[in-house]
Amino acid sequence: MRAFSYSRPRSPEAAVAAFTDAGEGARYIAGGTTLFDLMKLNVEQPAHLVDVSQLDGSDLIETSGDKLRFGAGARMADIADDETINREYPLLAESLWRAASQQLRNMASVGGNLLQRTRCPYFRNGAGGVYPCNKREPGAGCAAIEGLDRGQAILGTSGACTAVSPGDWPVALTALDADIVVLGPQGNRTIPIAEFYLLPQDTPDREFSLAPGELIIEIRVPKTAAGRASTYHKVRDRESYAFALASAAVALRIEGGQVQKAHIALGGIATKPWRSEAAEAVLRGKAPTRENALAAGRAAIADARAGRHNGFKIDLATNTIADAITIAAERSAS
Amino acid sequence: MTLSPNPDRPRVDARQKVLGEALFAADQRVENLLHAMTVPASIAKGRIRAIDASAALKVPGVVRVMTFEDFADIQITPASRGAYGQPGKGYQPMTGPDIVHRGEPVALVLAETLEAAIEGAESVSVEYHEAAEFTALMEQGGAEEAPEVFTRLGHGDAEGAFASAAHKVDVTYRHPQQHHNPIELISTTALFSEGKLRIFEGTQWSSALAGGLAGMIGRDPQSVRASSPYVGGGFGQKNGIQEQSALVARAATIMARPVKLVMPRGQLFHTASYRPRSLHHVRLAADAGGKLAAGLYRTEQQNSRYDGYNPLFGETPPRMYGYPNWAGEDRVIRVDTQTPGHQRAPHEHPSSYATECALDELAHDLGMDPVELRLANDTDKDPITGKPYSSRHLAACLQRGARMIDWGRRRREPGRLRAENGDMIGLGVACGSYKAAMSPAITTLRLQANGACRISLSGHEMGQGLRSVIAAELIDVLGVDPAKLDIRVGDTGFAPQMLTAGSWGTASVAPAARAAALKLRANLVELTGRDDFEGPAYLQLARTRRPMLKVEIDTIPLGENPQAIDDLRKGRPVAAGPEYTDFLAFSWIAHFAEVHVEPSTGRARVRRFASVIDCGRVMNRRTTESQVKGGVVWAVGAALREIGETDPRYGRVLNNDLAEYLVPVNADIDWIDVDVIDEPDTRLNISGVKGAGEVAMVGATAAIANAVFNATGKRIRHLPIRIEDLL
Ligand SMILES: Cc1cc2nc3c(=O)[nH]c(=O)nc-3n(C[C@H](O)[C@H](O)[C@H](O)COP(=O)(O)OP(=O)(O)OC[C@H]3O[C@@H](n4cnc5c(N)ncnc54)[C@H](O)[C@@H]3O)c2cc1C
Ligand code: SF4
Repeated sequence: MRAFSYSRPRSPEAAVAAFTDAGEGARYIAGGTTLFDLMKLNVEQPAHLVDVSQLDGSDLIETSGDKLRFGAGARMADIADDETINREYPLLAESLWRAASQQLRNMASVGGNLLQRTRCPYFRNGAGGVYPCNKREPGAGCAAIEGLDRGQAILGTSGACTAVSPGDWPVALTALDADIVVLGPQGNRTIPIAEFYLLPQDTPDREFSLAPGELIIEIRVPKTAAGRASTYHKVRDRESYAFALASAAVALRIEGGQVQKAHIALGGIATKPWRSEAAEAVLRGKAPTRENALAAGRAAIADARAGRHNGFKIDLATNTIADAITIAAERSAS
Repeated sequence: MTLSPNPDRPRVDARQKVLGEALFAADQRVENLLHAMTVPASIAKGRIRAIDASAALKVPGVVRVMTFEDFADIQITPASRGAYGQPGKGYQPMTGPDIVHRGEPVALVLAETLEAAIEGAESVSVEYHEAAEFTALMEQGGAEEAPEVFTRLGHGDAEGAFASAAHKVDVTYRHPQQHHNPIELISTTALFSEGKLRIFEGTQWSSALAGGLAGMIGRDPQSVRASSPYVGGGFGQKNGIQEQSALVARAATIMARPVKLVMPRGQLFHTASYRPRSLHHVRLAADAGGKLAAGLYRTEQQNSRYDGYNPLFGETPPRMYGYPNWAGEDRVIRVDTQTPGHQRAPHEHPSSYATECALDELAHDLGMDPVELRLANDTDKDPITGKPYSSRHLAACLQRGARMIDWGRRRREPGRLRAENGDMIGLGVACGSYKAAMSPAITTLRLQANGACRISLSGHEMGQGLRSVIAAELIDVLGVDPAKLDIRVGDTGFAPQMLTAGSWGTASVAPAARAAALKLRANLVELTGRDDFEGPAYLQLARTRRPMLKVEIDTIPLGENPQAIDDLRKGRPVAAGPEYTDFLAFSWIAHFAEVHVEPSTGRARVRRFASVIDCGRVMNRRTTESQVKGGVVWAVGAALREIGETDPRYGRVLNNDLAEYLVPVNADIDWIDVDVIDEPDTRLNISGVKGAGEVAMVGATAAIANAVFNATGKRIRHLPIRIEDLL
């Protein structure tokens, strides 16, 4: 870890200005649970940190309008505990409280959460020059592809990188078509979450469609009746405090025993939060039976490409999606 | 005085620990301190060409960067890391330009602050000669089988009996590399005080640390004092001198300033000891009635090229049941890694995993209940030597545990029991044993007429409750008030310190404390001229008008080795057991696991666990139960979670942090039910104690693996058992 300078502005405008003034080596920091980790591993070596954890009003949690609005600085723990969210949008609450640990959720912001980096061990541990990694060092090669790839992605991979997008919350937001509101040196803009994350392709070092200095202000989620019949189902190597091996965010609108609208997104198996329109299409107009749920699961991973040790994720993801559909459908009934 | 069961009692140091008053080695306040940080080697094998420290020296606060040139005079001795007491073995990094394992320290940065030391260490650039070829895993070409065969135990004609038996299993089990990961990181602080070099280190053996370091850095052993006030989890990782210990001690002498190094967890995966990978080939045979006919057991353990860590897998399995024929041998495969070492039930856990799973396979093949099979082959004497056991209540453990877990509902055919949510339920059983060893001790006990009492003796408090055990005997014999009790352990300034490991801590300190207390009591009786007395001893002392009474006593296990006290003083290994002149002594345990497996995902969860332990007299019910629960949690980790993953191309543990090296979390542990036999083993020692800390874990992983089979019908013969194995 290297010495760095630090400032803590109070307004988003001042934060963007501070970032711009500091130049190249600047980074925003909120809870620090991703950034400090990577600084200690020397994957990140910022020269200046702009602390955005104390921006006025950034901890907003607003559920009364026609959209759910979350300030970028709202804590994971606070949204996970919010009663309305738990009742009306269990998938959002579950995607948060099934992530990380209570201590981390108390620190971490939902804005910073969108920008967490992959857990690919070759990416995290290689800064001493031990493991080549295209994401850390473009053009260096990828140690994971021929290596211990049990945790790697099976969807959205490229010949340059197979790293999993690790977050849970972004998967739930992807299922619900969230928008990300950002403020940059050029002013405000809104990015649909479907356009927020980039596939690795030949440039795995580029992960987000944010321009330098752009600050996430808010996350907006269109309200939907499907929210109630929803779940974030997460399967992992232990019962808590672990990233997903496979996860599914599912929200259903069921009328007359048939699925009218399905929102399905996947985590733990793809290089970005993975919306599956194919799975949604399979369910549309059908009863959420086990058979149909499994068919949806299979449709979601039809294009999967496994590596050496992660082939099990194909069956696991299929069944995880099916289980999630079953859970969501049960919630529709109640 | 007769032995009575100990009443329930809190730990004597519970309050200090909760308040943070119990200071661990790295917590000591030291003036004028230099902080040290290591630079780990980024290659697995080779030679340093050049070290450029110029950038590091520019970091404000960095005082000096040391390299192998500063440490060339450190001697590698039988006390060095990895030697395990054997001349010609062991390795001390930074005594030359050669690199023998990934992550070993290649430079030591000293700075006025920890932050500067870290930044300095990251700024050192090391250039290596052309990388040498290396072998990371025992399965690879380049791995070298050591010529020696270790622990070759046997009797009868095992091959012959196996060949002609009616029922047999012939299976191979694999055990992965595991890392202890105690919460307290490994630290060394070296300073000069009262004319001595004082070392603070969370070690399980401060005498060997002091004496061994003196030898390595060329000092008079009398001029080194080692203090290990509390150990925040040892589990064998802190048994001896660490890779850093001599470097820090030497740095303090060179700089003539106190130096402290706390090695970061990420580096400990490559510098500290760990449980090595191992392979277990088990053949068991029985007649049609379920009488065991033969056991054949051959193992391989992955070692470094240079260490003396002997494999002892074969020591305990032949002692579990009445095998009429047995043959076993343990071998070593050497690769380019750092030395492995003892980790809780070092060989007993993997060997019980392999052999108790194999026994479950045999029971299934026989169509026999696995509890019945074990009961049918119970024995009260050691099949290998023919000597009796000092005590063995394994059958009672099995019978009681079976009731606790409601064993009667188990079905022989896998997959027949279902939970309401559709999960497959499996029940599994396995047993374990661990040698009941003992160490000699030198004890000084002082009682004052105002009730204050001080005892100094051998032993280290590692959270297992050693102080509470000592207190229990003093309360029992002398009626001491625990609040007025000063227990001094873990420090060569108090008494010569035994290695506190191998589950012999309690069986060594309880008899030592009891013997000292009985001697003091006898002196009091003599002084007061009465036959005996009731109530606190200090009141009797007050009547004699003496301010205090002091006794010293040496205790030697069963009085069998007259050399023992001298060896203890010299920091030599001195523990005796499990074989004594007239008998063998072991602790015993039976474990029962209820595992639920989710059919759609293969997620296995241990829902219920029951363990019944025969560890002799229970000195403190809370710490004993806590040991067993801890052992079971470790076993859950071993069965379903833990593995140090090494990419053979790089020879380095990939998941070297606590986020990725998965140990069980609270949500992984449901109900653990513990019961104790609490029968004193008075043939062994005057306190009737055997030992609990290690046996707690032995067999528990096998119980889980056997329950997984009972739930799913799948025999997974490697660890951990993960989702992909059961999906
Ligand atoms: C051990 C561990 C386990 C975890 N397990 C899980 C898990 O199971 N599931 C899961 O989803 N997550 C998990 N996490 C990740 C955790 O959720 C994220 O680290 C956290 O949400 C990040 O939020 P933060 O506020 O701490 O971000 P920071 O670390 O402060 O920042 C993260 C990144 O976002 C940038 N940033 C922060 N705020 C803004 C903003 N407003 N605008 C623009 N850029 C910004 C920073 O520059 C940085 O690059 C885990 C983390 C750890 C350390
Ligand atoms: S998968 Fe991606 S992140 Fe991992 S090593 Fe390869 S390039 Fe780097």
